[in-house]
Amino acid sequence: MSIIQIESLKKTYRETEVEVHAVNGIDLSFEAGEFAAIVGPSGSGKTTLLNLIGGLDSPTEGKIVINNTNISNLSASQIIDFRLWNIGFVFQAYNLIPVLTAKENVEFIMHLQGRKKQEREQRTKDLLTSVGLGNRLNSRPSQLSGGQQQRVAVARALASKPKFVLADEPTANLDSKSTENLLDIMEKLNREENITFIFSTHDARVVKKAHRVITIEDGKVVSDERK
Amino acid sequence: MNLRIAWRNIWRNKKRSLITISSVVLAVVLATFTRSFQEGTYELMIENAIGKFSGYVQVHQKDYWEDKSLDNGMELSDSLIRTILSTQNVEGVNIRIESFSLASNKNNTKGTLVMGIEPKKEDSLIDLSNKIIKGAYFNKHDKGILIGSKLAQYLELDVGDSLVLMGQGHWGNTAVGIFPVKGIVKMPAPNIDRQIVFMPLKTAQEYFSFPNGATSLVIKFKDADLTQKICNRLNSRLDTTQYKAMSWQKMSPEMLQQIQSDRISGIMMLNILYMIIAFGIFGTVLMMTEERKREFAMMIAIGMQKTKLAIITLYEALIMNSLGIIIGIGLSIPLVVYYHYYPIEMSGEMAKSIEKFGMEPVLPTMISFKIILKQALTVLIITIVAAAYPLWSILKLNVIKGLRR
Ligand SMILES: Nc1ncnc2c1ncn2[C@@H]1O[C@H](COP(=O)(O)OP(=O)(O)O)[C@@H](O)[C@H]1O
Repeated sequence: MSIIQIESLKKTYRETEVEVHAVNGIDLSFEAGEFAAIVGPSGSGKTTLLNLIGGLDSPTEGKIVINNTNISNLSASQIIDFRLWNIGFVFQAYNLIPVLTAKENVEFIMHLQGRKKQEREQRTKDLLTSVGLGNRLNSRPSQLSGGQQQRVAVARALASKPKFVLADEPTANLDSKSTENLLDIMEKLNREENITFIFSTHDARVVKKAHRVITIEDGKVVSDERK
Repeated sequence: MNLRIAWRNIWRNKKRSLITISSVVLAVVLATFTRSFQEGTYELMIENAIGKFSGYVQVHQKDYWEDKSLDNGMELSDSLIRTILSTQNVEGVNIRIESFSLASNKNNTKGTLVMGIEPKKEDSLIDLSNKIIKGAYFNKHDKGILIGSKLAQYLELDVGDSLVLMGQGHWGNTAVGIFPVKGIVKMPAPNIDRQIVFMPLKTAQEYFSFPNGATSLVIKFKDADLTQKICNRLNSRLDTTQYKAMSWQKMSPEMLQQIQSDRISGIMMLNILYMIIAFGIFGTVLMMTEERKREFAMMIAIGMQKTKLAIITLYEALIMNSLGIIIGIGLSIPLVVYYHYYPIEMSGEMAKSIEKFGMEPVLPTMISFKIILKQALTVLIITIVAAAYPLWSILKLNVIKGLRR
C-alpha cells in the first residue's frame, strides 16, 4: 500500500505578469520503505514538489493523500501537527536550533510531541549513536561540522517516528566525503529500520545510491526508474 | 524546554541583550527620576509657601478675600476660636493680622507686608526662629520686628536699626510707627523674603489701631490631604454669614495652576523620552526577529505550532524587560531617597530664574513609591507593546518564504 499518493498536482506561482508552473501536473506514489531521489536541473521544481508533499505549501490543483489523509483538507494548525507526527524534515542548511545542543535538538521534537523524558533521552542517545555522533551529544550546532549538523538533522527527523523523511538537497552544502557519509547513514537506516526517505539532489554521486530515481523537468516527471 | 530556549536565546547575543536590558533600566531610572524631581519641587514649593507660611486652611471674615483691607477684618471672640478648635482634626489656630504698609529707611522706600503673629505659636508653624540669620526672635510683648533678608538688603537695614512703617489702619486711621529691627529672617520663598515684616500680634494690633482685631485665622492640622475635608467641616460649623474657611487651592489658585501646567509639560517631555525608548527597543526587537525568521520557519516546518513559538519569544521579552525593570527600580530607589535628603542646589543664572518664579532654588525629589511603580509600569507596557511585533510576525510567518531566505 502506498503511503503517499499524488494526483495531477500543480503549483503555479504568479509573479507580476509571468506565471511560473513550478509543478505542472505530477502523478506519483510512494511505498513504505522507499529510498527515492528526485533529480533534475536547478529550477525544475524539486523543492516545490517536496514542499507540497511536506504540507509546507498548498497546491494550486490536484491532491496529496498521505496515509488516507488528504492534506489539503487540514487547517493551518492541523497541518503543523500532521507534520509533527508524520513527516521528518531535513533541509539544506540551518536545520538546527542554534541555542540547543545536538542532544537537545533531537529531544526537542519529541518534547513537542509530549513524549516522556525517559523515552526522549533513550531515543536521543540511540539515534545520535546510529548517525555516528554518540560522542557529540552536548555540542552546539556551531561546534559541529556541516556534515555532522546534517547527521543531527537526520536523527532529529527520525526522532518523531515519522512515516517518511523528506530531505531537500541534504548534501548541497557538504564536501564529497561528508556527502558519502550522510548517504551511507541514510541508506543504512533505510535498510535496517525500513525508514522511508525521499530526497532531492542534483549530485550524480547521490543519485547513484538511490533505489528509485524520479527525474523532473519543467515541473513534470520525465522518467521514474527503480533499481 | 521553552524557557530554556528563551533563556539561551537571550544570551546568544549578549551585547544586544545587555543593551536592551540597559535601555529598559535607563528608561525606568530616567522616568522615575524626572517625575520624582518634578513632584519633589512642587512639594517643596507648597511646603514653603503654604504649609510653612499661609497654612493649608484659613478662616476669614467672609468678604476679606475679595477685598483684603483691615476693614474686612474680624473682631476676635472666644466662641469663634472655640468653634474652630472643637472641629474634628483641627489641632490649633494661629491668629494673624496682616496688611500692606510702606517701609522706609534713609532714602529707600518699599511696599511691605506687615504681619502680626503670635510669636510662640507661629514659631512652630513657620519655624521662624530657625530662619533667623541675624539677631534674635521676639516674644509676645516685643516692640521689635523681624524682617525678610532681601528686604533688609534693599533697605540697607541691620539688626538694631529702626524701620519706619506707614500705612492704613482700621476704620480710616493712619498707621505709623518706628520699630527696631530685632532680627533678620531668611524666608525660603523669595517673593516673601522680599517684602515680609513680622511683628508680635499685640504690637501689630496697636499699629493698625485694631485692638483685638485679626484678618486671618490659620488652621493647624497634621495631614495636608485633609485640607478639603477640614475646610468643609469648618464651613458647616461656622456662621457663614460672617466667616468663611478657605483652602490653599482657593487662596493660591495661581500656584496650583503653575504646578498643573508645569506637570503637564513635564509629562510631555517624559512622553518624548518614552517614545525614544520605545523606538530603541522596537529596533532591537525588529532586528532580532528578522535575523531569526529562517529559524522560526524551520521550527514551524518541523511541527512546532506558531503559538508555542510565539510564547518562547514572549518569554524572552518578558525575562529581559522584567530584569531591566527590576534593576531600574532597584537603582531608582536609592537615587530618589538620596536626592530627597540632599537635594540638588542650583546656583548662578539658573537659581536666579527659579527664584523669579517665587521658588527656592533647590531641587529635591519626592519619595513616592507610587511614582516609581507608575513609571516602571509604563515602561513595562511600552516593552510589551514592542514585544508584540515578533509575536505578530510569527503568527503571520510564511514558512516557505522563511525557509528560502
Ligand atoms: N515562492 C516562489 N515564487 C515565485 N516563483 C517561485 C517560488 N518558488 C519557486 N519558484 C519558481 O518555481 C520554479 C521551481 O523552483 P524550485 O522548486 O525551487 O526548483 P528546484 O528546487 O528544482 O531548484 C523556479 O522557476 C522558481 O523560480
